[in-house]
Amino acid sequence: MTLDRRQILAAGLTLGAMSLFPGMSWAQARKLVFATFTGSWEEAHRDVIVPHFRKATGNADIALDPMLSVDMIAKVSAAKANPPIDVMLMDPGPRLSVIGQDLAAPFPVDDSKNYKDLLPVAQLPEGPGIFFQAVGITYNPEKVKTPPTSWDDLWKPEYKGRVGITNMNSTLGTAFMVELAKTRGGSENDIEPAFAALKELQPNLGAVAPNPGALATLFQQGQIDISPGNFNAIQILRARGVPVEFAKPKTGTIAFLTTAHITKNSPNAKLAAALIESAMAPEVQTKLMQAPFYVIPTNSKVQMDGDIARMIAKDQEELKASFVFHDWSVINQNRAGWIERFNKEIKV
Amino acid sequence: MTAATAITAPGLAGPATAARPRIGREWTLALPLATFFAVFFVTPLLLLVAVSLYADAEMTRFGLDQYIRFFGDAFNLAVLGSTLLLGVKVTALTLLFGYPLAWLYTRSGPRMQSALILVIILPLLTSVVVRTFAWIVILGRDGIVNNLLLSLGLAETPLRLLYTEGGLVAALVQVQMPLMVLPLITTLSRLDPNLLDASAALGAGPWRGFLKVTLPLSLPGIVAGCLLTYAASVTAFITQSLVGGGQMLFMPQYIYQQTITLHNWPFAAAISIVFMVSVLGVVMLFNLLGRASKGYVHA
Repeated sequence: MTLDRRQILAAGLTLGAMSLFPGMSWAQARKLVFATFTGSWEEAHRDVIVPHFRKATGNADIALDPMLSVDMIAKVSAAKANPPIDVMLMDPGPRLSVIGQDLAAPFPVDDSKNYKDLLPVAQLPEGPGIFFQAVGITYNPEKVKTPPTSWDDLWKPEYKGRVGITNMNSTLGTAFMVELAKTRGGSENDIEPAFAALKELQPNLGAVAPNPGALATLFQQGQIDISPGNFNAIQILRARGVPVEFAKPKTGTIAFLTTAHITKNSPNAKLAAALIESAMAPEVQTKLMQAPFYVIPTNSKVQMDGDIARMIAKDQEELKASFVFHDWSVINQNRAGWIERFNKEIKV
Repeated sequence: MTAATAITAPGLAGPATAARPRIGREWTLALPLATFFAVFFVTPLLLLVAVSLYADAEMTRFGLDQYIRFFGDAFNLAVLGSTLLLGVKVTALTLLFGYPLAWLYTRSGPRMQSALILVIILPLLTSVVVRTFAWIVILGRDGIVNNLLLSLGLAETPLRLLYTEGGLVAALVQVQMPLMVLPLITTLSRLDPNLLDASAALGAGPWRGFLKVTLPLSLPGIVAGCLLTYAASVTAFITQSLVGGGQMLFMPQYIYQQTITLHNWPFAAAISIVFMVSVLGVVMLFNLLGRASKGYVHA
C-alpha cells in the first residue's frame, strides 16, 4: 500500500481526534448508519427497507442519515479509518469516485440470495444497483396541451421563456447535456453539440435552477412549464396536486442506476450487507414500486404495474429497450471542464 | 463569517473603550473561548491554507498553481467582483431603508416601540430558508408582484423577477435588514435629544440638524450595521442560490461547486482564501471609516 499526502493527512487528523476524544477509539457496536437520499427517498427507505431489514436481522439497530452522494463521499473520505457511514447510496458519477478513491468494500456476492435475480445491468459486485432513476420531459399539462414526445420539443417557439433546466452540478443537469449532445451527433467525449443547442435554447429559457429540487419549486410557482425532470421528483409534485406530467422522449428515457455500497472499514460490514440484501429483495422492491413511492425496480422478479408500468415500462423487456445509459467513466473525466464552460457561457 | 463579526466589536464599542482599566488576571476568563477558537477556528483555517497550496486536484505536490489559476482567468475575477459588488448594493439599500426605520423607532412611544421591535426581530425568528422561499412566491411568474402588476395593467406579460440580480438584491435586503437596524437603534437611542434641540435653537433646520448632528453621531452604528450586513450578504449561500438561480455564480456557490461536485479541494480552498481576504479587506475599510468617525464624534 502506498501512502499519499491526503491519506497521511487524514490518518494524522484521525489519530489527533482519537487522542483528543479517547472514547471514540473503542466505542463500537454503534447503530448501522444508512446514508440514504433526502426527501421522499428517505421516507420510502424508512417505511419499506428498514422494517424488512430489522425483521431479517432480529431488530438490529439502524439509523438513516439522508444526504447527497457527494456529501457521503466527503464525509467518508474525511474519516477513512473510522467512517461515520456504513451503507452509501451512489449515483453513477459519484459511484466511480467511490471506487476510484477505494472507499467501498465489495458486496459479498456469493452469499447473496437476491443478487442473481437483479437485471444484468444492476449486477455490480462493487455495489449492486438497488433502483433506477429515470429522466424524461416534465411538463405542465394545463399549459402544454400536446404532450411532448422528443427533447427537440423544448426548442418550440411557443415555449418562449417557459423552459427550465438545471446547471451541470447535478447528475440530472449533466445527464441532460450528454443526452442532448448524443441526440445531435455528439457523445460523452464531444459535448460541443449540447452547448450549441443550449445557445439556441436561450430565448426559451425561463430559468436555470441551481439544483433539481429548485426545478420542482419553479413548476409549483408557474415560473416554468416544461423541463427535463426526474421521474420520482414528478411523482412527489403530482401527489401534492401540482399539475405536472412525465413524458418519455422518443430517443429513450435517460436512466441511471443507484448503487448501494458497504463503506470500507465499516465496523458493521455484516449488517451493511444485510441491509443491501433487503434493498434487493423482490418483496421490498415490489412495495417500493407501488404508490406513493414509485421506485423503479432492478430485481427482474418484480412485476411492473401502476404508474411505473404506464409511464416508464410495462415489463423488464420494455425497460431494457427504452432506457438509455451514459458512460459516466468518460463523463467524469470531462465534467470539470464542462462545468467551467457552463459557468462562463450560460447566462439568461 | 466569524472573522467579520469578531471585528465589529471596535466599531461598536466606540468611545467606551477610551478609559482603559489596568489589566489584572481577568484575561484568564477569556481562555476557554480562546482555546475553543484556536482548536475549532484557527486550526481548520490553517488547514485550509495548507490545502490551497497543493498544486493539483489530487493533492500530490505543493505549489501556488491554484492562485495563479484563479488570478489568471478574468472569469474568476468577475465572479469575485460581482460578489463584492452584490454586498455593496445590498448594504447600501439596507442602510437606506433601515435608517428611517431605526430613527422612527427611537422617536416612537413605548407601545409603538414594542410593535416595531417585534416587526424588526420577527424575520430573525424564522429560518433564512423559509424567508427565502417566501421570496420565491413573491417574485415568481405567478407571484404576488406579477399578479399585482398584471391586474393593475402596468404590465402585459409577467415580468422576469425571480433569478435576476434585482430580485436577489431585494430578497437579501429584507433577509438581512435586522442586522442593520438593530445596531442603528442602539446608537440612535444613546443619542442625547438635547443636542438636536440645541442645534434647532441655534438656527439649524431639520435637514441641517440631521446632517451635522444625528448622522455623524450615529456613524458607529452605521459602520457596525454595514459590516454585519455586508459580511452576511456576500456569504448568503442559500438566498443567493435560491433567488439568484443556477446561472448567476457568486463566490459561495463557486466554492461549493468546486468542493462538492468537482472534488477539487485545493482550488476550492484557494478561492475560499481569496474570498476571505477580499471580504476582510472590505471589512477593514469599514473599520477605518469607523475610526475616522470616532474622531468626528469627539470633535
